[in-house]
Amino acid sequence: MSAAEIAELRRRLFEAEETLRAIREGEVDALVVGADDREQIFTIEGESESYRAFMEVMGIGAVALDHARRVLYVNSALARALDLKASAVQGRRFGDLVDADLAAAIDAVLDPAPGSPDAAEVRLRGPEGDRHFLVAARPLRLGTVRGHAVTFTDMTDRVEAEIALQSERAARAVIASANEAVLVCDLNGIVSHANAAARGATRVEPVGHAFAEVIPLEFRRSAGFTGAEDLVAGAIGGASIQGLEALAPAAPIVKDYLVSAAPLQVSDDEIGGCVVTMVDLSQRKAAEKQQTLLMQELDHRVRNTLALVLSISSRTMHSEDTLEGFQKSFTARIQALAATHGLLAERSWADVSVGDIVRSELAPYLQQGGDRVSTEGLSIHVAPRAAIALGLVFHELTTNAVKYGSLSTLGGRVLVRRLEGEPGSTLVEWREVGGPAVAPPTRRGFGQTVIARSLQYTPSGGTEVEFEPSGVVCRISIPTEDVRSAA
Amino acid sequence: MPPNPTAPRKLVLYVAGQTPKSLSAIANLERICSEHMPGRYEIEVIDLKENPRLAREHSIVAIPTLVRELPVPIRKIIGDLSDADKVLVNLRIEGE
Repeated sequence: MSAAEIAELRRRLFEAEETLRAIREGEVDALVVGADDREQIFTIEGESESYRAFMEVMGIGAVALDHARRVLYVNSALARALDLKASAVQGRRFGDLVDADLAAAIDAVLDPAPGSPDAAEVRLRGPEGDRHFLVAARPLRLGTVRGHAVTFTDMTDRVEAEIALQSERAARAVIASANEAVLVCDLNGIVSHANAAARGATRVEPVGHAFAEVIPLEFRRSAGFTGAEDLVAGAIGGASIQGLEALAPAAPIVKDYLVSAAPLQVSDDEIGGCVVTMVDLSQRKAAEKQQTLLMQELDHRVRNTLALVLSISSRTMHSEDTLEGFQKSFTARIQALAATHGLLAERSWADVSVGDIVRSELAPYLQQGGDRVSTEGLSIHVAPRAAIALGLVFHELTTNAVKYGSLSTLGGRVLVRRLEGEPGSTLVEWREVGGPAVAPPTRRGFGQTVIARSLQYTPSGGTEVEFEPSGVVCRISIPTEDVRSAA
Repeated sequence: MPPNPTAPRKLVLYVAGQTPKSLSAIANLERICSEHMPGRYEIEVIDLKENPRLAREHSIVAIPTLVRELPVPIRKIIGDLSDADKVLVNLRIEGE
């Protein structure tokens, strides 16, 4: 045997051994079987053919990748979703076929960091809008090849349903949070949603019932709607109705509402029902009533006051001899009246205390300091009528004391205090001390008339004046019905 | 007459359709050629699934197999060519 023949035999032996080694170590996945025009290719891919068939009939997108992430097989569902031509991508790296974000997401599920999920959600832009996929990877062995199967489960419907659900939840939250009563009706006028305020407008659960049955409404004739049924039908018909005052006679507490209704626009050209909102008008109505009452009251008081001013004017004229005297007394009396008015105005014409009235009339003497005026137990609250009368009485007593009584000398004092009287009566005593000796007057002036008569508008009211030598004493009985509290 | 040293030499890669090793061998060979010996080899891929008889010419048994016809003696590299060093040694490019 020649050296060349030996070399050829060695080469063929090496080749045979290399072939066996390659088969044994799984480096080949197909064999040529047969000879003499009957060669056949026998693949040793294992179950890959049936695997491919299985992948193809699955609804989900799937791709088989080898260890280098080259495409071994991509099923038609995924090829469609990714806009790939299945036959043109085999053998190419999958990461080169898709956009960078998707490639990164797939790398992450193929090599998950410890503790991170082995699936990822990805969004693919498509001609008919975005599609959402759950991408998962599992190790795969195809014959002699190790790789991964990557599946793309289309979650678009689920994601869209979730978004719709969240939107529905948000809408419900908006309705529930509204202070106004909000009711949503379907196309038949049946209530489908109602918030807590709406449930306060009816005695029955409104959802599932016709709006007009659970919340009947009465409108003013000028509104153009005969009732709730008419209103709901108008809104479902596309009319937007705003701010109608309505009475809800069946509502448990609040009956006055400002009602608005609008079509429920579910898409650009489709109405799915209507939304009715009802604003509680009870406070506004109460305020309107209060305002009317106040106007009437004001009118009444102005008339009374004018009558009183006329009376003071005419009496002062009779009791004063000179124009100067008239002007001085009249002005002082009107000022006294104004002071009491001022007190009442400060308290919104509610009750005022006797102490405040006394302090208002005796203010100049209180400001002088010392103990010229002292008061005791005068936190008795009286109605405006009694307050005005008391204001005039204390004014006349003060004027008298300043002219002739204890306030006409430096050492004189006035003590005003509440007296313990019979149960039910409210007595206040004005006592002057330390002034000049007092004798009963010879002539009864207007001042005395005022003191005597002002509180006699009711049997329980009146005054008694005693001209004791040590000083004037006046006991004032405040009309029982005008005493609000005696703290 | 010696072969023109600048003319690309032919490498024949035998594959069997789209089997994973076949796909892998094609990709690996393209990468090795472009990275280590650009322009020196031209590659012919023969799909034995389409024409099994072509296996006869180079007595191919296992697939994939790469055949270097020239220079003689003929060399065969069996497998998916994932070991680039082994491929380069067998193509003996160092000495050429």
